[in-house]
Amino acid sequence: MKGLSSLERVILECAGTRPLSYEEILRQTGLQENVCFNLLQALIIKGLLRSEAGQYRLATIPPATMEELNGPEARRAESLELMEAVLEQESEKVFRLLKVALDPRDEKIFLAMLSNLESFLKDAHRRSQTSVPVKHRRVVFWGVGEVEKLLNQIMMGG
Amino acid sequence: MSLQHKTIQRYRLFYPQETLRQMSERTGIQITRVFRLLNGKPMKLGEFEAFEGAVQSKLNENKSFGRLQSLLEESASLLTNEELARLGDYVERKIENKKYTRTYLRPMFEAAVIA
Repeated sequence: MKGLSSLERVILECAGTRPLSYEEILRQTGLQENVCFNLLQALIIKGLLRSEAGQYRLATIPPATMEELNGPEARRAESLELMEAVLEQESEKVFRLLKVALDPRDEKIFLAMLSNLESFLKDAHRRSQTSVPVKHRRVVFWGVGEVEKLLNQIMMGG
Repeated sequence: MSLQHKTIQRYRLFYPQETLRQMSERTGIQITRVFRLLNGKPMKLGEFEAFEGAVQSKLNENKSFGRLQSLLEESASLLTNEELARLGDYVERKIENKKYTRTYLRPMFEAAVIA
């Protein structure tokens, strides 16, 4: 498989900040016990995680492996996985997809708003990343594209 | 990997917890013979068909699989190599994630236990 699955990455995100015990990883991720155990074993086998004295810590990852894990194809597949999960979630579902007519002026305003939104989210994350466990974080995504270009891309299979 | 080996591996994928006795009942092959086959004795054509038949009947329980199979065949003739690779990646991710939800990870060819 290219890159990491969202399940694997969430473990690495937890253990990436500081070494954690199995119980702490369980608490941070909210994963089922067997899934968490299997993921930890798989990540150790892949050489991405080390286990020392009951603590799991991020291994030293060679740049080539890092590139493979975070390369565009891997990130794309991982984003799709999370976006699909957002679409399929049954409770607290928030998802809007609109085809909107924007004149150039409104488009500039919209892009400025997106930029503000991104700044707000980055600040909010910085403030709360130590207090909010990974399992309670929110997945937020946005994107914009011109209908004609997107349809052409769909036709070309891109 | 030999065709026989592949067939047994497929069988164990679909019936991972089966004992030799259950395998014998399902395939109609004597229990001692099943044991030998799992340990690499060459299969007769009828035995091969019995294992394949059991796999096929499991596949037929899932109607979507037939559709997926025919779509994959069609995609092979229509889609580009890049598109096929993406489809492959998508399916592979689904499988990998599902594997993590198993109770525990274990080798595919765990010795069968006589019930």
